[in-house]
Amino acid sequence: MAGLELLSDQGYRLDGRKAPELRKLQARMSVFAQADGSAYLEQGNTKALAVVYGPHETRGSRSKSLHDRAVINCQYSMATFSTAERKRRPHGDRKSSEMSLHLKQTFEAAVLTELYPRSQIDIYVKILQADGGNYSACVNAATLALVDAGIPMRDYVCACTAGFVEDTALADLCHAEESGGGTSLALALLPRSGNIALLQMDARLHQDHLNALMEAAMTACKGLSKVLDGVVRQHLEEVSVLTSE
Amino acid sequence: MDDPVIIKTEKVLHLNSSKGRKVRVVREHYVRQQVPCGNSFCQANCHNIGKVLSSDVTHYVVPDVGVVRDFLEILEFRELQGIVLTQTAYQTVQHTRGRRHYNRLRALLKDPRHDCVLFANEFQQYSYCPRDKGESQDKWNTRKVYNAAVWYYNHLAGLRPVVMITEDTDTISEYSALNSGVYVISTQDYLLSFWPDLQAAHDLYNSIAQTLQERESEGAEKVYAEHLPAEVLEAGIKSGRYIQGILSVNKHRAQNEAFVRYEGSASKNTELNSDVLISGAKHRNRAVHGDMVVIELLPRNEWKGRTMVLTEGQGEERVQEDIQSQPLPTGRVVGILQRNWRDYIVTFPPLEEVQSQSRNSQKILVIPWDYRIPKIRISTQQAEALQDQRVIVRLDSWESTSVYPNGHCVRVLGKAGELETEIQTILVENCIHVPPFSEAQLREMPVNTEENPWQMDSSEVSSRRDLRETHLVFSIDPKGCEDVDDTLSVRTLPGGKRLELGVHIADVTHFVREGSLTDLEARSRATTYYLADRRYDMLPAVLSADLCSLLGGVDRYAMSVLWELDAESLDVCTVWYGRTLIRSSYQLHYELAQSLLNGEEVEVPELGQLKGSQRDQKLAELMQALETLTKVARHLRAQRDKGGALELEGVEVRAQLDEEKNITALVPKQPLEVHETVAECMIHANHWVARKIQESFPHQALLRHHPPPKQEFFNQLIDSAKARGFSIDTRSNRALADSLERAVDHQDPLVNRMLRMMATQAMSNALYFSTGACPEEQYYHYGLALDRYTHFTSPIRRYADVLVHHLLMAAVQLEKEGSLSKALDSNKELEELAQHINNKNRAAQHAQKQSTELFQCLYFRDKDSNTDERCVADAVIYAVRANGFLAFVPQYGVKGAVYLKDREGQVVSVDGDGRCEWMAGILQRYPDRINTCTSTGTHTFHLFDHVTVRISVEPSRCHADSLCLQLISNKPHCAVKPESQPAGRGRSELVQEVVRWAEEASLQAEEEKGRKPKLSREERKFKQSRTPNLYVLLQEISELALLDLSLCQLRNTEEQTCTASS
Repeated sequence: MAGLELLSDQGYRLDGRKAPELRKLQARMSVFAQADGSAYLEQGNTKALAVVYGPHETRGSRSKSLHDRAVINCQYSMATFSTAERKRRPHGDRKSSEMSLHLKQTFEAAVLTELYPRSQIDIYVKILQADGGNYSACVNAATLALVDAGIPMRDYVCACTAGFVEDTALADLCHAEESGGGTSLALALLPRSGNIALLQMDARLHQDHLNALMEAAMTACKGLSKVLDGVVRQHLEEVSVLTSE
Repeated sequence: MDDPVIIKTEKVLHLNSSKGRKVRVVREHYVRQQVPCGNSFCQANCHNIGKVLSSDVTHYVVPDVGVVRDFLEILEFRELQGIVLTQTAYQTVQHTRGRRHYNRLRALLKDPRHDCVLFANEFQQYSYCPRDKGESQDKWNTRKVYNAAVWYYNHLAGLRPVVMITEDTDTISEYSALNSGVYVISTQDYLLSFWPDLQAAHDLYNSIAQTLQERESEGAEKVYAEHLPAEVLEAGIKSGRYIQGILSVNKHRAQNEAFVRYEGSASKNTELNSDVLISGAKHRNRAVHGDMVVIELLPRNEWKGRTMVLTEGQGEERVQEDIQSQPLPTGRVVGILQRNWRDYIVTFPPLEEVQSQSRNSQKILVIPWDYRIPKIRISTQQAEALQDQRVIVRLDSWESTSVYPNGHCVRVLGKAGELETEIQTILVENCIHVPPFSEAQLREMPVNTEENPWQMDSSEVSSRRDLRETHLVFSIDPKGCEDVDDTLSVRTLPGGKRLELGVHIADVTHFVREGSLTDLEARSRATTYYLADRRYDMLPAVLSADLCSLLGGVDRYAMSVLWELDAESLDVCTVWYGRTLIRSSYQLHYELAQSLLNGEEVEVPELGQLKGSQRDQKLAELMQALETLTKVARHLRAQRDKGGALELEGVEVRAQLDEEKNITALVPKQPLEVHETVAECMIHANHWVARKIQESFPHQALLRHHPPPKQEFFNQLIDSAKARGFSIDTRSNRALADSLERAVDHQDPLVNRMLRMMATQAMSNALYFSTGACPEEQYYHYGLALDRYTHFTSPIRRYADVLVHHLLMAAVQLEKEGSLSKALDSNKELEELAQHINNKNRAAQHAQKQSTELFQCLYFRDKDSNTDERCVADAVIYAVRANGFLAFVPQYGVKGAVYLKDREGQVVSVDGDGRCEWMAGILQRYPDRINTCTSTGTHTFHLFDHVTVRISVEPSRCHADSLCLQLISNKPHCAVKPESQPAGRGRSELVQEVVRWAEEASLQAEEEKGRKPKLSREERKFKQSRTPNLYVLLQEISELALLDLSLCQLRNTEEQTCTASS
């Protein structure tokens, strides 16, 4: 058997996209009434749910609270039915803890935490279906949830992955492409300023190619930010119609 | 440009997980409206990039999945046009067949000579159809292909009918009536109705179909162990339990012995430093010579030794028992990672055998020409018709239930034993494919005829540096040379402080644009092939013999390297590389140039017209240039010596045989100094170009390196030299050269020659590589003692030089403009290309050697060895074996085994006059001699002894004939012909005679039958070179004599050390 070919000679990827094309993105905000903010997001077949509580008083020990800004608390989990084979442990394993930490770092860079000293913001994200780019789906969903909760941010945080196959940068990898063993770069961007909130890369890559890969990921993030902006505006229109009546 | 709308759908796949469980996977599937159709006839303005189908066809063909999977070879016929391959079929091949098959399909799609394209039907919104509930995968595939065919028909607005071909009868009945413009027929019907004249395709189809049918009906007990699955193999290799390597079968004991050479140091098993022996067919487990296999070592008590005797198929069993070397690591094959099957030449067995074999089926066992390949099972009904014919066969499969592999016939080459057939056999066996240049390729060529002479382009004239007026350019080549690659110039610059040395090389890249058909053809050929009686050019003759050839007195484009040298110290001050215009003033040959240098009175043809003082002046100018050149060359050589470098004169030349065509160290005469002068200039040019491209492109330059040889390969040389009391120091190339220089026996000049030959055999071959693929310390060229080296000076006959020309131009452009107009090949591509060229060079050498052997056999075939004086010759012993020795016959350049012990166990005894007889007795073998003890006494044969042998031909039905040496006397043969006759001449006579014989035979055949057999006439067309004239023959044969040596290395190492090096 000849192995999988991630990029065909005609320039098509496994799922029929071309190299810079993103997967289909769909999102809804305010999916739960109980939480302060919530959002549901589909990026291709990756489906994520994000819920935000806060800002509120620091729960638990007081010592954790900071006197000059808010504490961001993130928890990442995956539904047991999210992968092809049932997962044993939905959260708390090493991978999830690492992902939680990454999310926390990302949003500490984006949320204006100094407006809420001695308080706490909780972000809970759950992957309902995993098909590559879990981190980016979580960041994008959490951004929408934060917007929904009305927490001030410097900008949208948009995240996207990019990979490198046969001298070509591929945007927004799906699961088959991610597990192919090639390089995968995850990037969270504040699109208007162009600041990078988080950058992570697995596997080796020649340094000559790094710029091309970053460029592809940033273009993809900027594309995503437009879609997210559209979602927010549409949501706002719906809400304002409701309240005006 | 691209339709922004893509629509998301989903498809469900069932895959096997890593643990072997079935997993349901949902994948996204995006479809779009704009998918290029790859057709120049397109009515909808598709955005087609790359290859497109031609529009002047009557119909388009869409093969079904099954056809592409099983009958790809039919689609490879270039006559078939307008083939649209669907992505569905393409991916099925990718998933169900091996990588080789898949790569073949890809190559087919990329090759611009085949009229076929890939249509990504699954990504087209309207041609894609989702899978229905409960639909089988095969049905779904067929439906997708059919939908694609319908879409294609509609896309072309119904202007051309589309034919879908399939092997499934249900499909035909289900779909054939659905649409008017789309026909669904079987492959056979298709071939019959659309290509009734393409007999070869019909035959191939029948042969494949029959094989497939047979395979289905089979099923019996297992003969071999099953191969392990790929995951297990991979894990085993990683853990060090299994070893991965390439299987090479011992040619002389193909049934029993095969070796696996390690691949690098990946194995953790450091105690094993030799190759692993695979003994017997069971342990070889269906692996074929050349396959990449995975082996498991057997426990130590099952290890076996290898046999150390000369065999020719006689008494093998007995030999196995008594003489075995030290036990070697022995293993068995547990799996095969990569089959490496190619086309094989086979011969059908005699009729009687066929009948007894084929009682239960139509299977016939055919015997491959190559000894190392097992017999092949073939289903055919033409066995009788194919008697005595050489046939090309491809292997299909080798099931564990079958003793022999299955194959099918592809093409008949011709009658065995005929010169044309045998030459074609050699070409096919070496994977050399040299069809005549196609019309499309020739159309790319510039025209140069009497009516329409070729002229230089004015834009080229202005962009190149014009050296026509300023430089005295001349070429020195062998007499009668047609393709002049290189010219030289030398002059004193104004002021007198500096000299300017120039090497001007034919600018092939100007005429052969990258990516053009000619370029692709040259790339796939990689080199010009020289066989004993003909040559197959890399480039069409209009280039190689005319427009690229730097002939005297005409304007030509060139690539030049110009050095400014200090006139006193002769150090290089500056170097200039670039494209130039030159007009060669003199086309000299070596002898003439040497005579001029020696101050002899000779006639220079170019000056024949001139008179008196003008002529003297011109002559003086030329003399001056030649003298300066010689001075510079001497200095360059001395410079290399001084810089810690060394002069490995003889060895270097032989290791680098194809590099400097003019040095003929094997011809006993001293080479002229002017040979060395030219060679030195070329080496200098190659070296400086290598420096330039390596500095400009540190990761993607094509260089040539010569790895230092392994010390153990020198053992034979050292031992042999010791027999004559010489000591050979092999620690460095310099020491080796010096000690070889000293090892001269004044009574017998052959000794030194033989020793140098052995040294050459120990060398590894010089190889091309890409600089990114090798650490810098491995760039070293051992033979020439240069840190960097490449090939630049013969672009007409080597493709590597063409690549280097491209690189050099890119380097010049980069320096001038700071950027490149066109991306270079990446390191990976270049390394692949380098490997390809290395392989082709090796194939060329093998073919050359085999064709020489063929001619030797043909020469001796119709001579009665008992009466004919020419069959008796002088031979030198160069190696000793347990039951005989290896001897070299200088007169004919033949090497072979001489047996001292025959089938009945009798040995050769020598009587008083030196005559030999067979008698009962025993043999005693020592490192440097072999004793025969019989009742009449003991006789000893030492290394380097001269003996007299009789040469006869051992005819072989299925393989190449071989020469057989028989000892007549232990005294040197008093040759009728004078000893001084150079080896080359003896051989060229041989070739001529055989050619004449072949021509006469074919004439005779013509008279008898009224016409020549069809195939042989076709093959006659492949013969591209002109009728060989005496000069060309001589030249090529003398090159052969050199090449021949480097090749013996292969054979010999197989015989002696297990570590065969090629």
